[in-house]
Amino acid sequence: MATAIPLFASFKYTDSLTVVGISFCTALVCEAISWILIYRTSSYKSLKSSIDKASRKLETMKTDNPSSKLTNKKSKTKKIDRVVSSLKESSRDLSLFKFKSGAVVALVLFVVFGLLNSLFEGKVVAKLPFHPVTIVRKMSHRGLKGDDSTDCSMAFLYLLCSISIRTNLQKFLGFSPPRGAAGAGGLFPMPDPKTN
Amino acid sequence: MRESKSAKLNQLQQQQQDNHQNVHLSPSKLAKLFDPDASWDKDQLGDVLHWIRQVVGLICGLLWGSIPLVGGIWIILFLAISSGIVYGYYAMILKVDEEDFGGHAALLQEGLFASLTLFLLAWILVYSLAHF
Repeated sequence: MATAIPLFASFKYTDSLTVVGISFCTALVCEAISWILIYRTSSYKSLKSSIDKASRKLETMKTDNPSSKLTNKKSKTKKIDRVVSSLKESSRDLSLFKFKSGAVVALVLFVVFGLLNSLFEGKVVAKLPFHPVTIVRKMSHRGLKGDDSTDCSMAFLYLLCSISIRTNLQKFLGFSPPRGAAGAGGLFPMPDPKTN
Repeated sequence: MRESKSAKLNQLQQQQQDNHQNVHLSPSKLAKLFDPDASWDKDQLGDVLHWIRQVVGLICGLLWGSIPLVGGIWIILFLAISSGIVYGYYAMILKVDEEDFGGHAALLQEGLFASLTLFLLAWILVYSLAHF
């Protein structure tokens, strides 16, 4: 332990480890809160189950060979529409349910970000191995002095930590939203926003 | 009476034999990852592809940061390598029909953004800590 402190003191950007450590702990706390308020409740479990069932049913109906008779096609389309609207309704209910409980998690994240901001405002916490584009630079160089665009602020590092750690933690714990839910997946699957 | 008893015994033995064969024939989870004949659920395949992307992102980030590799071009290269590995896995090793899983786009985007952020995080951290 005594040798570890001088070892870390020799690194110029040890603040980055502090940011990552706090992000990781925050992610654990947020998922614990989400589990208590959302995931262990019977309402969530039944909604998730109904979404999974509806998604599977929809996939089966869509991949079945279309019948040649017009009346059968119409009835099949009606059935698909019914399943789709049921799926949308369940997804909406799930989102609403999570939104109410997610306010607590949002508060925790807000407080932690405020704390980190006060600790590392104006400090360069890491060095970027690339020159970011203008849009990214607004976040990565936030609150920093000078023109070196490779200086990294706490906000950008915290954003990277939040997305990567929370998404994978949710996936690992099985708390990711079901793929059939509206807005699930997509090109940029963020950590479940309703628990933010 | 004796015939019915022996018939029942034969039936029981046959069932035990079938169960025994089933245990030997069902692949382990690890074997399933490389078995082109295994059947895949959409969620199962999506999860596997997600975690493959995360591992590739972490390894690339650690490697890029250690060498170090500098420049935005390495982000593009990471995306290409990562997507290539995922495509090679599901198309050539598993040989799945991508149409059954929502097409190439659906499979290739599994875990993409999370792996990109994980890659950037690892790359930035190792680069900052190891070279300054």
